[in-house]
Amino acid sequence: MGEGARQGRGTVAMAAIFPVLRGLLFAGVGLGIGAGLAVLFTNLTGRPAKEPVIALGYVFALIGWLLGVGMWDSWAKEWFGGKAHIQHGGGVGRYFRFTTDHKVIGIQYLVTMVVLFLLAGIGALVMRVELADAGQNLLSPGDYNTAMSLHGIIMIAVAVATIIGGFANFTLPIMIGANDVAFPRINALSYWIVPPVAVLLVLTPVFGGFDNGWTGYPPLSVVNAPGALLFLLAFLTFGLSSILGGINFVATVITLRAPGMTWSRLPIFVWAVFAAALISFIATQWVAYALLMVILQRIFGMPFFNPPGGNAVMYEHIFWFYSHPAVYIMILPAFGIFLEILSHFSRKPLFAYKWVVRAFLLIVVMSFVVWAHHLFTSGMNSRIHLPFMVLTELISIPTGVVFLSALGTIWRGRMWLTTPMLFALAMVFNFLIGGLTGLFLADVPTDIQLQDTYFVVAHFHYTIMGGEIFAIMAAIYYWFPKITGRMYNETLGRVHFVGMTLFYNVTSIAMFVVGTAGMNRRVADYPADLSGTNLFITVASFLLAASFLPFVYNMVASWTRGPKAAANPWGARTLEWQTSSPPPLENFEHPPVIDDPYGYGSPARQPVAGPAYGAAPGSGD
Amino acid sequence: MNRDTITVAALWAVLTVIGEALVIGIGLFPAPLAEEAKIVDEAFEHLVILGVPVFTFVVSVLVYAVIRFRRRGAELEDGPPVRTHGKWVAFWFAWTTALTVAVIIHPGVTGLRSLTASHGEDPDLLVKVTGQRWLWTFEYPEQNVTTINELVIPVDKLVRFEVTAPDRDVLHSFWIPAFRIKIDAVPGLVTHTYARATRVGAFEEDVDYRVQCAELCGLAHGKMAATLSVVSQEEFEQWAKGRARVEAR
Repeated sequence: MGEGARQGRGTVAMAAIFPVLRGLLFAGVGLGIGAGLAVLFTNLTGRPAKEPVIALGYVFALIGWLLGVGMWDSWAKEWFGGKAHIQHGGGVGRYFRFTTDHKVIGIQYLVTMVVLFLLAGIGALVMRVELADAGQNLLSPGDYNTAMSLHGIIMIAVAVATIIGGFANFTLPIMIGANDVAFPRINALSYWIVPPVAVLLVLTPVFGGFDNGWTGYPPLSVVNAPGALLFLLAFLTFGLSSILGGINFVATVITLRAPGMTWSRLPIFVWAVFAAALISFIATQWVAYALLMVILQRIFGMPFFNPPGGNAVMYEHIFWFYSHPAVYIMILPAFGIFLEILSHFSRKPLFAYKWVVRAFLLIVVMSFVVWAHHLFTSGMNSRIHLPFMVLTELISIPTGVVFLSALGTIWRGRMWLTTPMLFALAMVFNFLIGGLTGLFLADVPTDIQLQDTYFVVAHFHYTIMGGEIFAIMAAIYYWFPKITGRMYNETLGRVHFVGMTLFYNVTSIAMFVVGTAGMNRRVADYPADLSGTNLFITVASFLLAASFLPFVYNMVASWTRGPKAAANPWGARTLEWQTSSPPPLENFEHPPVIDDPYGYGSPARQPVAGPAYGAAPGSGD
Repeated sequence: MNRDTITVAALWAVLTVIGEALVIGIGLFPAPLAEEAKIVDEAFEHLVILGVPVFTFVVSVLVYAVIRFRRRGAELEDGPPVRTHGKWVAFWFAWTTALTVAVIIHPGVTGLRSLTASHGEDPDLLVKVTGQRWLWTFEYPEQNVTTINELVIPVDKLVRFEVTAPDRDVLHSFWIPAFRIKIDAVPGLVTHTYARATRVGAFEEDVDYRVQCAELCGLAHGKMAATLSVVSQEEFEQWAKGRARVEAR
């Protein structure tokens, strides 16, 4: 290769990431301004400077970053009488730009979240090495706590944002026949807020780490190292992104449905995202209050959570008033995905569609009145144990409807056992275990023993990893041809499925065992008689990690050199399959024909566009 | 009833029998060493036994459907256009509601009641527990004894634990795995819990005789544990007198 060609390529790469570089530069300037103001303020008032410098420096750096990365050119100029300009266009550069195409934003979210997921997964492996044997092995207790806390908060972010930010962004507007979301620039903003969150979290070890877990309970989160302030700011910023995303999808579904796309014709995934988005924008503000109060106590010494006058239990209430509904922000869209996939690959209408929609909306309401089941051992007044136990257990009724729909849909279907379908079926199994073990934690007597043990760890991993992450994997394979325009490798997909399903279950079932045997969570050390089972979990977790290697290879290789995908390789009836793969800028060349998304088996229905199904992967079953 | 339904029902029955055989008497917990532990263990066992048929039902349908209703070759035919089935939906609602009320809520409510039944009684012994980073202090006000990381209580006596944390400290949680009791230590609040030990024993013989901090409290959280000895009333009195004498000096 000649020197000129190499230089030319370098210039192209620089041009592609120019907005990011400018964002970083503006962030640096912002950091300087904010830190300067903080120094000035602390000098005048005689307070310690470190945390105000971090907080104010970050706030200005965030503003600088957003303006630099493209908010100024494509938005903020208008506020000062200028003319904003939104740059579209192809090439890799669009992924590094403040662009408003919902499909590009969806891919930005997806790639970011998959990378974060793999990083936080490595964090889990580091913890498992430490836990392979009793005693101190690899990490100091402080480093263990930081690894554990980072794993937790990054995975929470992945669980909240991957489906809504990634898949819903890419597919939801197409599924309802829209050209874009209701507020495209807010959509871009909600993505570009995310990288600073990741940077803050990755930087926490430099600032002494943070040992308060993802829940950040004060007074611990008030008195620990400055790394915790970075965590609090990251969580707060991420919440802002979540609220913006929630508003956007609620508005999109209400206002942008194509003519003929009535509420009763909405694909179930759209309903699920709508329900989750409602929670996202109603509930997230509460956790923002809680986090802000911790920051205020850290910086200004406002005694919210310590006596006299303060009370740490109050934080737990406010925190879980968001964070319990938040698990439904994670799982409702996952329900939407697996029901969607089960229907299309069983070639049958979604069973009891209307009941599922009712169940989703009921779950939205009920998710707000169960939070105190996280507080059965907190010392809150024991008279509130009973109502919260009963309300929590009542949620199993609407959740049961989701299972009814899943089983009713596959019954007498013609199931195509493709990789996405296999993941969707595995999710039914995993979430079943997650749901049933949840009963032990809703029941006050058993919860008193199991609270804060590995039983809880295993339970929520079964709902979020076994449930949601499996749904995300199903969705990645299902929509891969639509998003990338290329086909993934079916054999590698199945290898990934078998490995992940097997080793995920082995790992987590053993966690139930150590939990009931008396191992508490968030500890780097434990009684020596549990070391055998812990070694087993560690080995299984490494095999689980290895099962992701074919996945990563498959994604990278298929995206770059996979065979071209047809517009509708699955012969599915929802609208995203009635346009090209990948879809054009405003999604449809011609206005789509709106029909029943689940009209399988009815000869009177319009046939769907797309090639013969026979060419599709999975046809050899 | 058609062939598919009957086969699934048979599969469900077989799997349920196998499942119950596996879980009955599985004994996942440490040995129960207090009255409270028995209530918790009964509730746990109850939920396991009644959870098995629910689990096997879904698994049976899932497994049977995958085997029976997967497509053959590259068949492109659609399944039957069944959208819903009123009777099945009603049947499902009736069962899930009945199960939730009878199997989950009712035992939960009664279990909660029996767990708190002793709370009105006059305790035989009061222990004031303070959790601080990273040690446990036990104060016996009637005996004039204070210990660090060493809890000694008499067997067969109702003990009331009053738990707190210093104002400038963080949250902790007072947990005795063998007793199945757990309550947070909150700065500025006094929380309480009760236990009546049913057997003598000591940490040296069984690690479940320990007080473990169960709420993340920072650096040495994992090591914040105290030993527990359950002794006879006479031994307890002797121990307390001996300790009081030492402390008076």
